[in-house]
Amino acid sequence: MVTGFVTPEHDQLRAAVRELLADRSPSAAVRRWMESGTGYDPEVWRLMSEQLGLHGLALPERYGGAGGSLVELGIVLEELGRALLPSPFFATVALAGQVLAASGDEAACERWLPGIADGSLTATLALAEEGGSWRPEDVATKAISVGDGWKLSGTKMFVIDGHSAELLLVVARSEAGPGLFAVDGEAPGVYRTRLDTLDLTRRLGRIELVDVPAVRVGPDGDATAFLHEVLDLALVALAAEQVGGAQTCLDAAVGHAKVRVQFDRPIGSFQAIKHKCADMLLRVEAARSAARHAAAVAEEPAERSAATVVAAAYCAEAFTFAAKENLQIHGGIGYTWEHDAHLFLRRAKSSEHLFGAPAAHRTRLAELTGIGGPR
Amino acid sequence: MTSVATAGRRDEAAETDDEFRARLRAFLTDRHPGRRPRDPDERLAWQKGWLATLFDAGYAGPSWPREYGGMALSFARQVIYQEEYARARLPRPLGTGVEIAGPTLIRYGTTEQKDRFLRPLLRGDAIWAQGYSEPDAGSDLQALRTTASRDGEEYLVNGQKVWNSAADLADVIFTLVRTGTPESRQHGISYLLIDAHAPGVVVRPLRDLTGEAHFCEIFFTDVRVPVADRIGAEDDGWPLVRTSLGHERAAGAMNQAAVYRRVLDELIALARDRGATTDPLVRDRLADFEIRVRIMRYTGMRTIADILATGEPGASSSTSRLFIATFEQDLHEFAVDLLGPYGVLGRHDAQAVQQGRWVWGFLRTRASTIGAGTAEIQRNTIAEQVLGLPRDPALPKDSR
Repeated sequence: MVTGFVTPEHDQLRAAVRELLADRSPSAAVRRWMESGTGYDPEVWRLMSEQLGLHGLALPERYGGAGGSLVELGIVLEELGRALLPSPFFATVALAGQVLAASGDEAACERWLPGIADGSLTATLALAEEGGSWRPEDVATKAISVGDGWKLSGTKMFVIDGHSAELLLVVARSEAGPGLFAVDGEAPGVYRTRLDTLDLTRRLGRIELVDVPAVRVGPDGDATAFLHEVLDLALVALAAEQVGGAQTCLDAAVGHAKVRVQFDRPIGSFQAIKHKCADMLLRVEAARSAARHAAAVAEEPAERSAATVVAAAYCAEAFTFAAKENLQIHGGIGYTWEHDAHLFLRRAKSSEHLFGAPAAHRTRLAELTGIGGPR
Repeated sequence: MTSVATAGRRDEAAETDDEFRARLRAFLTDRHPGRRPRDPDERLAWQKGWLATLFDAGYAGPSWPREYGGMALSFARQVIYQEEYARARLPRPLGTGVEIAGPTLIRYGTTEQKDRFLRPLLRGDAIWAQGYSEPDAGSDLQALRTTASRDGEEYLVNGQKVWNSAADLADVIFTLVRTGTPESRQHGISYLLIDAHAPGVVVRPLRDLTGEAHFCEIFFTDVRVPVADRIGAEDDGWPLVRTSLGHERAAGAMNQAAVYRRVLDELIALARDRGATTDPLVRDRLADFEIRVRIMRYTGMRTIADILATGEPGASSSTSRLFIATFEQDLHEFAVDLLGPYGVLGRHDAQAVQQGRWVWGFLRTRASTIGAGTAEIQRNTIAEQVLGLPRDPALPKDSR
């Protein structure tokens, strides 16, 4: 896969998702659903699955998917990020679906992937804990072998849709080391609460597990290497979504600068505003290069991790930069509740801290590339 | 029998990309002119000799038409050419004529002009230097004041140009001069080729802030230039300024990334040697440069892919110059800071680290956001031409 090659099929996919969301999830709808009980529009969820087949797009064909890759999924996520769509799609499809497919665990894939592919199941990935670390090595939740299965005990934090997802993929530690386990969200011993979050369009939960029955997913024993692959998948997906969000901020800022008149001229004719917009474009385009490259090499083990953290660190900061500049260019109107600028700022700053912050990604890149290595 | 002059040129369909690459690589390796001489005169002869070798064998001018000695390669093959050329570490064309004036001449020159000028230019027999900027016409190039007044079949040229690289070596100076009224701005500018050896042309080296002379200033006093050496119509030279052949510059988009990949690796090795990478703040900065140098490469790949797929370079290429300029300034300044007091020793001090290359780079890269359009002008251009923001109503009409 060569970075940057956009095929006509990619353009069609992008256009179809964009059209659906423009039609069914404009800003007013986003605001309605973000304040609702369920947090998302089930009709949009159904159309995404039945009409466009997005849920199974990047899942293997033998489990009901279309056999696409992270490149195609990245296109979808960029569009969801553009529209700021509140949806269980990210946790279910981009996290749980990709993680299951990468696990190589036939039994787990057969059991859950068809449901994810046809939109009948919601799922998520539970990694971080109260310590706030996203490193699989730091997980303390215990997995104890009981007969044919396992029992989990511990507390998970910052779990996307953790309060509502039907299937929980939980990172926990057995005597052999960290591994991945599947838990029914309604199982006895699961206590879940929704967190109050800065980001109003993405819900996070806290999950307390007390002797909850679980099934091992993926490699037995110490699965640290697999869990790093899991983290990489999550970061590549998030980077694509961040590029979409940053693009909306740029478009909104440029659109406003063209029509807002002060001193008898559009503010976009002032160099101070032009330079801000040019700098936003620079970061958005660099972020897009990084995100697309990471998606393109996601299945090449030698390149994947470094390309992933490059995208993760850069896209996160580019989105926050674009969100802040968009708000600034809008001035007073951008500071109001009714304007969407703050929704993007909330999403940008929050997603900077999902799966690790930019500084942590740079630390990992330094490790991966030997920057801090011996003399 | 294939003549020597066409050995490098073959029909593209006659070989695969890999075969083309292998053939080119073999030629560039076999005929490599060896190490760059330190003596300036020897160096010039070494460069000229190589350019002639390249031309005579049919391996010069990847984007140029064949009738003027070029190879007329497709864009995909130009990318391969630039990769192999950079890999072989060979002398670049002398002066700026091949890259800037050549495409202008190819597009706007008369048959007579093309026949007379193009082959010697590409072969390196004649060195061309640019004469655009003036002391009072930098970002606002349309304010230029060097005049060319008509005297029969000649122009009489008077004025001063500045920031001319390689003008001290030049045989031809391609210039923008005012043939219209002083107020005519872009409607009274003509494009002239001036013989650098003509009476009345004085070229002086310009010592820049590094203490060295990388540029010149040029003074024209009653210089007689034949009207036949004007490219395009009188008073209508402005539209000729930004001529390029297809996307020839984008074909080398990956090379700058490769150069900076190497420079960053050298900086990382230096930081490690000095024990600085035990500092997490140093590692964080180095990782940030690692991110940017990789993105530089990814963007180069995207630009090339966009051109191959759609014929246009896309939005990513519009910001790449600014991205690179900021990167190289930040990188060199960080290197100086990393070295602490040793970083601010001069180039000639025996204790300067790596002959003071980093502090010299710190000074030299100040030019990255000034030359060939300041960063501010670039941002204006991006905002107006890519994002469609309105032009500044206070500026003169249609200036750009």
